[in-house]
Amino acid sequence: MTAALPRIAALLALCLPRTAAAHVSEQGFVLLLPTGAYTIAGVSAVALTVMALFAVTGEGVRTLFAHRPLATRPCARARMVTSLAATGLLAALLWLGLAGPRDPLSNLLPLAFWCFGWMLLVSLSGLLGHLWQWLNPWSGLHRLLGAPKPRLTLPEGWGLWPATLLLLAFAAFLLADIAPDDPARLARILGLYWLATLAGLLLCGPAWLRQVELGHAVIGSLARLAPLRLRGAAGLGGPGWQVVSRPALPAAGLFALTLLAVGSFDGLNETFWWLGLIGVNPLEFPGRSAVVPQTLAGLLATTLMLWALFALTVWAGLRISRSPVAFALAFGRLALCTLPIALVYHMAHYLTSFLVSAQYLLAALNDPLKSGADLLGLAPFRVTTGFFNSIASVRVIWFTQAGLVVLGHLWSILLSHRIALDLFGSNLRASFATLPLSLFMIAYTFLGLWLLAAPKGA
Amino acid sequence: MTHRIKTDRRTLLKGAAAGGLLAATPLAHRFASAQSSAPIRIGFQQHSTGIGAAYGRWYGRTTEAAVKMINEAGGINGRPVEIIAEDDGTDPKRGAEVVEKFANQHNCDVAFGTLFSHVVYGSAPAAGEQKIPYFVVSEGHHVASGALNRYTLQPGITDVKSQVQAMAPYVAENLGKKITMIFPDFAFGHDHRDYFTAAIEAQGGEVLEHIAIPPTETSFTKYFPKIPRDTEVVYHVMVGPAVLTFVKELGEFFGPSRPELFGFIDSLEAVDLASPGLEFLEGTYFWEGNPRYAQADQSSHDKLFREKVGVDANGASVSDPKDVSTYAHMFGCWETLHIIKAGMEAAGYQGPDDRAKLIEAVEAMTDMPESDAHPQGPKRFNGKTHQVFGVQYISRVEEGRLNKVHTTSIEDTLYPDEVDYTTMSF
Repeated sequence: MTAALPRIAALLALCLPRTAAAHVSEQGFVLLLPTGAYTIAGVSAVALTVMALFAVTGEGVRTLFAHRPLATRPCARARMVTSLAATGLLAALLWLGLAGPRDPLSNLLPLAFWCFGWMLLVSLSGLLGHLWQWLNPWSGLHRLLGAPKPRLTLPEGWGLWPATLLLLAFAAFLLADIAPDDPARLARILGLYWLATLAGLLLCGPAWLRQVELGHAVIGSLARLAPLRLRGAAGLGGPGWQVVSRPALPAAGLFALTLLAVGSFDGLNETFWWLGLIGVNPLEFPGRSAVVPQTLAGLLATTLMLWALFALTVWAGLRISRSPVAFALAFGRLALCTLPIALVYHMAHYLTSFLVSAQYLLAALNDPLKSGADLLGLAPFRVTTGFFNSIASVRVIWFTQAGLVVLGHLWSILLSHRIALDLFGSNLRASFATLPLSLFMIAYTFLGLWLLAAPKGA
Repeated sequence: MTHRIKTDRRTLLKGAAAGGLLAATPLAHRFASAQSSAPIRIGFQQHSTGIGAAYGRWYGRTTEAAVKMINEAGGINGRPVEIIAEDDGTDPKRGAEVVEKFANQHNCDVAFGTLFSHVVYGSAPAAGEQKIPYFVVSEGHHVASGALNRYTLQPGITDVKSQVQAMAPYVAENLGKKITMIFPDFAFGHDHRDYFTAAIEAQGGEVLEHIAIPPTETSFTKYFPKIPRDTEVVYHVMVGPAVLTFVKELGEFFGPSRPELFGFIDSLEAVDLASPGLEFLEGTYFWEGNPRYAQADQSSHDKLFREKVGVDANGASVSDPKDVSTYAHMFGCWETLHIIKAGMEAAGYQGPDDRAKLIEAVEAMTDMPESDAHPQGPKRFNGKTHQVFGVQYISRVEEGRLNKVHTTSIEDTLYPDEVDYTTMSF
């Protein structure tokens, strides 16, 4: 099972715990599970769906992603209040980062940012919508300041390019930096980012938040998968209807692919396969400081290769179906169908470390200054990893992760077909034009499940 | 005195003023009484994140429990102990940064706590440069080998060389004299290969075959045919995610008629022995640094240790019986903190100016009986090599638990000195 695959297993992988390292016994149990059989089952499900789509009419898929318009509720005032509250909360967290406990597992700043923000909020946005519009620490302040007129215009043609570059920079920090959890360091970086974003917002207006600010870009992209939309052009429909019906910014497709690449490499870079590639003993990981250039190179390579590979599948599909549709249009629209995969990978990847980090978060809320306080009455609070120590619970966790991966790919296949119907007209033409893309996704499902099952050393 | 772990800005600054500035002036002694309530600040270099995180968590629990007990008994020289915990990410470069922070930013009196060897190697030079006493809890042979410096000591946990060596007499006498060793093909495995081979030969035994497994391997069946037929004992020290697979495949290979098996609990630290795949271990033997399961002859000291740290009779967390602790190692933090206390009291430690005196006081330590401060067992500290020696335990897996069958003597664990740090200057 593991022999030939590492060579094929390209870059698109499943994400893995970053903060709390996976427990030895959990990985040990995963290696004992019949993951080969599970993988075949998951891949077959996706493959069968692809085949079925050739046979069904377009109507079924259209209905899946239909939506019903709703009256747009102007919640601007409520959003201003919550945003201002978030600004106050950020200030408090930054103070804690600088003055609170030095241990990142006891300090609410890294816990709030990584566990609550990056892991939970990002995951939930795909289901609940654009939570960041309510929780960001700028828009309320901006409104309070009277929403001053912007001095510069951010070219709309740039679309999400600035955010894409920022995403890569963030990924470099997440994956290669030797202490992204350090409370004081994180406080300084976040403080600077907040100031820079405020400056950008005042200079360029709300376009800065849409096109540059990373939280808006990540959460906003994934929020398009949510069934309910409350802001402009509100509606309720099959999850993904917003991707189909709402126009996307330029480079939104590339941003989606980059999000997927980042998540994929996050998982890949801990596997025995990757460690072997960069010449690191998987049983003796030397620490992040020893692999910084390799990590950065791998991140960049993964991103570029995913862009290229996806472009190839789109181009090949256009050739096979002899379609007159412009490549740029097809690429831009079809790339958005990878959003469900990016979402489920994020959720599956961080599930195990969330189970541990969330406990630390609760403990820190109970005693924010590590002074023996018991604010929530939880003492004595002992963080446990007992669920990694029983094959029964590990099996449940693994199935959840694998299930998410398979569901996400099924979702993506359906979404890509729906988008293709708009691009190519008939059902048959859409199926052929997306055949290379579908094959790519089947292979991707396989690799994703293989990576869930692969031994990890970092 | 109530236990507090305070790391807010105000305390940091107060500590800096009290500990640093005053001690430097000639008026230090006059202000001794004013300082006497200022906390002793111990920098705890913790593997909170990275590959050592499971150990980091239990090291943290044990440290907090030890400090609480020490403070409840009056602290060190009447001064409360304060722990400043920093995460080194199980990374050597970060570890060096953390040691520097302890010395310069947090104004710690001493630093302690590091486990993983590569992090010790990366951090110890910083301790030497900053001239801050650095008490590692690592098991590595690095300290006693002479590779480090006079500021680095390991007085709370024994090293792998002494552990492995001490196994040979029991194995030769009770299990067999013809050994096959299976180990991962890198430093950790090589240490076992070298130390045990020498030790068993000294007992009249012989290693028939050294089977070095590539670290990337996740399936082992193809290696087992290399085990010579007349093997009496298979000595195994596999680590990593494939350990459960290793045991399962070994069981499938041998079936019901197997040679004796001897392993190190490092393979299964924090793993529940009742896990599927481990049934084959029934009736086999393990080195244990500290018996995970409470034994029939459990001492009051072990009982107290478990109670304070929050661990049950099976070595698991009292709040989750499935959460097995790293029992074979974490006692090292407890004992090290008690050594720091004893050393500071013996040296009449007032502040960072007395760091050299503290090290000399610890170097002067020799035999320490089993006690509440040393619940793992009696110890003998070697001031020249900065390494402590203690008894080692051998247990047998019986019905899913580990029962102690042998306790070595301290003499079994000794080896000739390889360095004399006391000849080095501060």
